[in-house]
Amino acid sequence: MLPWVYGFTWETGNVLFLTIFYVVSGVILAACGIAARRALRDLKSTRIDEIKWHVDFEDIPSFAKTCRHVFTGELSNRVCHNGFDCRTCKLHADLTEVSRPTAPLDPPHSRSTHKIGTSVFGLRMPADRLYHRGHTWVRRESDGKLTVGLDDFGERMIGRASTPEFPSVGTKLVTNGTGWFFRRGESRIRILSPVEGKVVAVGGRGNGFYLRVDTGNDCDLRHLLKGVEIQPWIMTELERLEIALSTEEAGVSLADGGELVEDMPANYPGADWDSLLGEVFLEP
Amino acid sequence: MDSHLVARGVKRASPGRFVMWIIPWTLILAIGLYATYLCLSRGLNQTNMDNRFAFGLWIFLDLSVIALGAGAFFTGFLVYILKRDELRAVINSAVVLGFICYSGAVLVLMVDVGQPLRAWFTFWHPNVHSMLTEVTFCITCYLTVLAIEYAPVVLKNRKLKEIPGFLVFEFELHKVMPILAGVGTFLSFFHQGSLGGLYGVLQGRPFAFREGIAIWPSTFFLFIISAAAAGPSFILLSTWMVSRLSRKKLVSENVYRLLAKISGALLTVYVFLKSIDTLTWLNRTAPGFGLSGMSFFLWAPFNVWILFVEIIVFGLIPAMLMLVGSGKLRLGWLVLSSSLVCCGILLNRFVMTIQTLALPTLAFDKFMLYTPSWQEVATFLFVVAYGTIIYSLSFRYLRLFPQETDLKQNPRRS
Repeated sequence: MLPWVYGFTWETGNVLFLTIFYVVSGVILAACGIAARRALRDLKSTRIDEIKWHVDFEDIPSFAKTCRHVFTGELSNRVCHNGFDCRTCKLHADLTEVSRPTAPLDPPHSRSTHKIGTSVFGLRMPADRLYHRGHTWVRRESDGKLTVGLDDFGERMIGRASTPEFPSVGTKLVTNGTGWFFRRGESRIRILSPVEGKVVAVGGRGNGFYLRVDTGNDCDLRHLLKGVEIQPWIMTELERLEIALSTEEAGVSLADGGELVEDMPANYPGADWDSLLGEVFLEP
Repeated sequence: MDSHLVARGVKRASPGRFVMWIIPWTLILAIGLYATYLCLSRGLNQTNMDNRFAFGLWIFLDLSVIALGAGAFFTGFLVYILKRDELRAVINSAVVLGFICYSGAVLVLMVDVGQPLRAWFTFWHPNVHSMLTEVTFCITCYLTVLAIEYAPVVLKNRKLKEIPGFLVFEFELHKVMPILAGVGTFLSFFHQGSLGGLYGVLQGRPFAFREGIAIWPSTFFLFIISAAAAGPSFILLSTWMVSRLSRKKLVSENVYRLLAKISGALLTVYVFLKSIDTLTWLNRTAPGFGLSGMSFFLWAPFNVWILFVEIIVFGLIPAMLMLVGSGKLRLGWLVLSSSLVCCGILLNRFVMTIQTLALPTLAFDKFMLYTPSWQEVATFLFVVAYGTIIYSLSFRYLRLFPQETDLKQNPRRS
């Protein structure tokens, strides 16, 4: 094994065999050492939310990762591999031919030009805001801050019995990181933050919003859905929900229309809500 | 009760049913543990092995599970080195199966050697001229690699990944996986080969002895190719069995078909080379010893049928079915073919181990049959039960088949 150990000889075969063994062992140890060192570095950094999203995104079913350009009909079939971050997606830039940030949303005083209260399959999805795939919305206020809330689909899914747990004011949010939580019995549902920035205020159901975020001057919202993308996206989400709620024995059945009830958990207590909410709010 | 540990979006059997499934295997495990204790505390007199049959049921098991576990290295090679992303659907399951197979083999070897406390001798004082030394080193290193590859699958458990340290370690381990897959392929290549080479260099056993290239007998290469061919088949078969038992669609049909195609192609190469090897041995190697090759097939029950079954029934037929029919035949045919391939690898390892030792080599030798003792059988079953329990727990609490939720939500994909 080693020159001073009994049985070791300086023969070519011996030296070659042991050298290969030491190299292989060294590679294995080095690979683990690199992974451990990087993990320690990540733990000390603020990348944990980013890593969690990366890990979670891999486990999200491809049906839920449909590219936004499929919703608009620009592409017939494409799965997003970019963590829903269109800001760094070359295809998105090519298709929209826009490499600059989206023009800021109109402040509230000019909202009269929008169809506020637009109904999409019976859900209130106002057109004056942008939507994140984790069922949150973002609206720019007149003071430049962003208001973040849960969209109507998310509200109906989470139900009235869930209580929000907010981050403290001053917390820094990252896109697709933890926005806030809902506690529902034993389970804790994570709501993804649609934007990055500092929390300046927290609200609640009664306030019409959940968070107010200061993004500073750097505010790129190109990754959020808007306009004509909303309806096909909600349709996909409803389809996913129908499949998730259908019993395995029944298989996939054809829905006969209707709208989502106001408080789904209260109306469908038998379902596996922990799983369902994990799927809806993109935490597999 | 344990739903908070099960991955979101998948359904598993109720805790009661799961316990009922585990209980019989635990009983077998307990009996096997007792047999292991007997073998380790009282010695190898608890077995029916002797100086003639120094390789028995346990070595047959070792060779078989290591060949079947080759699916782990080969799938890793295809996914991480050749970038066949379709096989990501089975890579986690392949790693778990590989880990079970290799750790099971090491467990049995520990009992077989009989002196586990002196296991380090083989590393500290290696005989580099022995094929077994290479096998020992490679298997130890590869089991370490498999344990490291298994770690991210475990750390991705729903509860474990809530711990930031585990989450980031899993994330970073995943990044170095191509390096580990490469190392695993290198190690597997050599130890699969050396296990074959071990028989091929047995000059005193003309039935196993083979000529070859430089220091490597032909069995060195045949073992590598046969293991690479059987690995994907075993993954196909195990995935199908788990799918049937759990009544869940775990992977899309094209994954089964791709596995069958890969296995079929490699098996075709193997059957071709094995045929050439057999003919060379019959017409050149055996006569070189002054023996007729066919004289080895006169001893019942190991007559010429065993050669026919190994090459034709468990070789050529499934190879053709999978190679030609992987895109057209019904899934049932592919499952049947993969079962035949797995049987073929078991038969080949049986022939190399048991038939080789049963045949007389000297004029005064007798043909001997070997029947394992209950302790040997119990230890064998111990490994089977251990594997079943580890796999069942992994299937329940880990995301072994990433396509499972996808197929549930989007059945059109299948």
